[in-house]
Amino acid sequence: MAGAAATSTLDCTGLVCPLPVIKLSKAIKAAAPGAVIELLATDPGSVADLEAFERQTGHRVLERSEADGVFRFLVQRTT
Amino acid sequence: MDDDVKRILYVQTSGTESPERSATVFFLAAAGAAMDIEVGIYFTQTGPTLLQRGVSETLRVKKGGATLGHFMDQARDVGVRFYVCQPSLDLTDLKMADLVEGVEMIGGAAFNDMALDADRVICF
Repeated sequence: MAGAAATSTLDCTGLVCPLPVIKLSKAIKAAAPGAVIELLATDPGSVADLEAFERQTGHRVLERSEADGVFRFLVQRTT
Repeated sequence: MDDDVKRILYVQTSGTESPERSATVFFLAAAGAAMDIEVGIYFTQTGPTLLQRGVSETLRVKKGGATLGHFMDQARDVGVRFYVCQPSLDLTDLKMADLVEGVEMIGGAAFNDMALDADRVICF
């Protein structure tokens, strides 16, 4: 992992749309600018949702990966 | 009005007679609000019946699933606003006092104005 280390982890495994995005939104708002949140999710729709979230909010998805059905994202609060 | 903010206005036309047609709007609205879009839901036709106090908690989209009230609360919790108009309330014999707190009353002119200001209007 280059550079970014998660400040906190948001475990959304087992949750379906729209909960991962709602929880991410709340976590981002509660975080300081620059903070990096590790989001874990099992809803396959979260991959497209995180792209949309990044596009609309401007917060950055620094990394995305998948292992054993768990999607992992590193999301950085920009402003 | 802040022109940088994106807006989506949803229109919900079914109510307690078909809970299975009444949950999607709350999912999508909540997801929209979570991505910093300004989201409102306008309830018309039988839509306002969903807003009756004490009713959404008794409706389930699916056997064993969460109540519609849960999904409504989830949407409002992230900032989704709820609107009704008087003729829709008349149609379903409801008064503002029968509805959950925080529902906003608008009229046809205000609805059209909101529709023109929104980036998209989505009807259910």
